[in-house]
Amino acid sequence: MAAKKKRTPNTHNDSWVVIAADSVVETQKQDCDADFVKLRNPATDEASLYMLGAGDAQLYEVKAFEEDFHSWFVGQTVQRDGKLLFITQMDPLYLILPYMIKCGQEEKFQPVNQVVKDDEFPESSRLLSCTRSLTSLHHIAEEKEVGSLKFHRYSPERTMNWLQKKVERTIVALKKKNICVGEGVKSTTYIRVKSESDNQEEDYLRYAHGLISEYISGELSKALLKHLRLPELKSAKETEPPSKKRKLSDKPVEAGEDYTKFNSGDFARKPPKKMTAAQKTLAKVDKSGMKPMSSFFSPKTKAE
Amino acid sequence: MDLKQFEADNSGSCRLASRIPDACRTEDCCLGVDEAGRGPVLGPMVYGICFCPVSKKEELKDLKVADSKTLNEAERENLFQKLDEAQNYVGWALQILSPNMISTSMLQRTKYNLNALSHDTAISLIQYALDSGVQLKEVYVDTVGPADKYEQKLSQRFPGIQVTVRPKADSLFPVVSAASICAKVARDRVVKGWNFAEDLGEIDTDYGSGYPNDPKTKEWLLKYLDPVFGYPQFVRFSWSTAQTLMDSKAAPVHWDDDEEDGEKAAQRQNNRSMLSYFSTSAEADRAQQTHRFFSERRLKSLKSL
Repeated sequence: MAAKKKRTPNTHNDSWVVIAADSVVETQKQDCDADFVKLRNPATDEASLYMLGAGDAQLYEVKAFEEDFHSWFVGQTVQRDGKLLFITQMDPLYLILPYMIKCGQEEKFQPVNQVVKDDEFPESSRLLSCTRSLTSLHHIAEEKEVGSLKFHRYSPERTMNWLQKKVERTIVALKKKNICVGEGVKSTTYIRVKSESDNQEEDYLRYAHGLISEYISGELSKALLKHLRLPELKSAKETEPPSKKRKLSDKPVEAGEDYTKFNSGDFARKPPKKMTAAQKTLAKVDKSGMKPMSSFFSPKTKAE
Repeated sequence: MDLKQFEADNSGSCRLASRIPDACRTEDCCLGVDEAGRGPVLGPMVYGICFCPVSKKEELKDLKVADSKTLNEAERENLFQKLDEAQNYVGWALQILSPNMISTSMLQRTKYNLNALSHDTAISLIQYALDSGVQLKEVYVDTVGPADKYEQKLSQRFPGIQVTVRPKADSLFPVVSAASICAKVARDRVVKGWNFAEDLGEIDTDYGSGYPNDPKTKEWLLKYLDPVFGYPQFVRFSWSTAQTLMDSKAAPVHWDDDEEDGEKAAQRQNNRSMLSYFSTSAEADRAQQTHRFFSERRLKSLKSL
């Protein structure tokens, strides 16, 4: 009965189902609306979708809930794509940070509008218009003021302190929302009745670090781990048991425990075999002066 | 027969019954079970029981109830009238299973097939008669599936009652014929006055017999196929006639219990190749990249809209 149905790839949509912060749609200036922009994702170094609020005042990240077999009924239409978009506020500093680090290698103070420049993503300069950007640059860079001009230089120490604060705040939020952080818990719907106290702080710390790492480069994530004094987790490769290989040796293969070895006594007790008539007559023959048969086959050392 | 109760909500199952004759509470009774509308792709399936005292069997015969299939609609209506008038010794009860209920039973995650549905309906009607105080001694049933298995099942379920399951029971036992007439009349009336829950405007009610091989029915099915929703609830979606038409003409719909196979399905479901378990893989590390806060909530970053 189950007929095979072909799945065609999702075609382009011109509408989406979105959950967004009120601030996205609250427009003070009528002439400029919120805008989807492609920017460099600090964690993957690839393009990701973000949103800039009206007048570029706020940065929002765009996340999509996506699971198989979902569709929307919107009013009188069907939307094939069952995605649910979440547009949530985000600190623009995360996106500025990679550009700072890149220029920081030159160890020069530079005007920030020269730092945040990306040929691939020309929209990135708009990040600096966000209300929080310029006022919070001191979290990740040293500042120098010459006349009316400001110059910045990347500071690893400041950045680490800033990230640590982010982690601490994340922990507060995680606790408030009762999010399960233990390693053993894999399901979000699983609720533990008993709260375990041991190691919980470290679980929270590690979980928060993992969350923040979604917004920073891999290198920075490792540095932050060190800064938080968390031991690095062993990779899956190390925790796996060693692969079993058969030992090779020249010796003949023998069973490790061979009980038959100790049964030899049984053999001695066996009654002697009955001899045939021919053997009996041969046994009676006078053998004095006769060489045993085996002597004819021994090495010839005795021969003089 | 008052169908108002069913017509108010024709999406589920509905029981209609006559008054229980006093004679049936005091005397040993026999009961017949039959169904109408098992095969059609349109409309409900109706189960009927009819019961009377064993001593009145002959009187039932005198009413000339015969296999409902040999009668035309007017004759059936006429006979039902007679049965209903003989309410001092004949009682009946009906269970109308709406097409929607048949569809949802057969197409749900744990499949509930038509035979099981039929058996359970028959059992519930017999139980209804017992609960109403009818002194049942003999039960006659037109079979669904293998007769001896069905008979065994019913005998176990109703110990102390002599159960007879026969193919063509409706032409062998008058009490089964009577049940079949009740069921058939109810089905005819329900189909004729079907209340479409959907807003279809002026609907063409010329859908023929409702059986899959009737060209009129097929034509009607083609006409009322909606590319998104398929059919009105009047149609049994679980029938292959309806399914084939929907597969070819309507938009494809995928459910997560659809049977899929092959490499593509595995890839879509993110299944890992068996081989990957035997080597330490960089692939596994990459899969862990998004933090579990997001992956557990099925949240992803987007590259574009």
